[in-house]
Amino acid sequence: MSQDPKPPARSAEKVLSEEFFIARSKILDLAATLDRLERADGSLEALHQLKLLEQGMEILLDDQSDKAKRVQLLMSRPYDPDWRKNYGLH
Amino acid sequence: MDYIDPHIHMVSRTTDDYETLARMGCVAMSEPAFWAGFDRGSVESFRDYFRQLTEFEPKRAAQFGIKHYTWLCINAKEAENVSLSREVIAMIPEFLEASNVLGIGEIGLNKNTKNESTIFLEHVDLAARFNQQILIHTPHLEDKYQGTKMILDMLVSDARIERSRVLVDHVEEHTIQEVLDRGFWAGMTLYPITKCTPARAADMIERFGTERLMANSAGDWGPSKPTAIPDLIMELKRRGHSRELIRKVVYENPCEFFSQSKNFKAPIAPS
Repeated sequence: MSQDPKPPARSAEKVLSEEFFIARSKILDLAATLDRLERADGSLEALHQLKLLEQGMEILLDDQSDKAKRVQLLMSRPYDPDWRKNYGLH
Repeated sequence: MDYIDPHIHMVSRTTDDYETLARMGCVAMSEPAFWAGFDRGSVESFRDYFRQLTEFEPKRAAQFGIKHYTWLCINAKEAENVSLSREVIAMIPEFLEASNVLGIGEIGLNKNTKNESTIFLEHVDLAARFNQQILIHTPHLEDKYQGTKMILDMLVSDARIERSRVLVDHVEEHTIQEVLDRGFWAGMTLYPITKCTPARAADMIERFGTERLMANSAGDWGPSKPTAIPDLIMELKRRGHSRELIRKVVYENPCEFFSQSKNFKAPIAPS
C-alpha cells in the first residue's frame, strides 16, 4: 500500500473564489429560512431549536477556528464518562 | 476511477442501481445488516434477511461485475428488543462461513440506551469469539457525539478486540479525531442532509490525512445517493488532489481493511 499522499495546498484566494457562490447560496438559504420563521404565526421566544441556530450563527461569526466541529458539539448531547456505571453495565 | 463502496444497503436499491454503480466505477461493495424501516417480528425474519445478503445480493451484483460482501447483526434500533436480539445473535454463526461475509455489523447505538449498549457488548463478544471484523454504526445528529464515545468506551474495554479490525462509520467533524487517535478505522458517510457532504468529507481528508479513512454512500431506502462516492471523487479532483490520494481513500483503504477478513479478495490488480 502507498504512503499517505499529501493534499495540495490551495491559497485562501483560490478557496474563496471557488467557494464564494456556494457559500453565498447557503447564506441566502439560511436568511430565507429565518424570514419564513418570522412570517409564521406564533412566538419563537422559547424554542430551543431556534436558540441553537442563533448560537450556531454566532460561531460562524466569531474569530476562532474549528467552526464545523464547534457547531457539531453545540448541537450534541453531552457525554457522561460514568455512563456505564449509571446503566449498571460493567 | 475504480472504487469500493464500503457501506451500502443494496437490498433497498434496484437492479438499475447496480448497473449505474458499475458504470460509475464501483467494483466491490460491502453491505452491513441494518434496519428495514420497521421492526421485524421474529428471528426467522432475520434468517431470511441474512439469506438475502449472503445468497441473492451477491448474484445480483455479479451480473454487473461487482463483488458483493456483507456483515451480519441485529441493528441498534431493533436491539431495544433484548430477547429477540439474543435469538438473532445466537443464529448468526450459521452464516459466518458464507463466502461473502466479512464480519459483524453494522452494530452500534441509536438512542444510546441501556438495552442498545447491552446488545452492542454481546455483538462485540460474538465477534471476538468467532474472530470476526466489526463494522460500527454511530448514532445520528445530536446523539452522535455521546454515542460514539460510548461505543469507543465499550470497544477499548474488551482486550480481545484489535482496533485495526474495527471500522467506525458515520464519523463527522466532532468524532473523527478520537476514532483515528484511538487506532480504529473511520468511515465518512455521504448523505444528503443528516450526515456528511462530499465537500465536508474532502475537508476531513485534508485535515486528517488518508490513513485508516474511507468514504461510503450508505445508500438505503431513505433519502440517500448510492453514487455519492463518485461525487467525492469529483470534489477531490476539483480541488486538485492527486489520483494517488483519491485512489487510496476510495479503493486501497477499503482493500487494506477488508483484507483482514479471510473472505475478501481484491477485485482488481494493484496499480
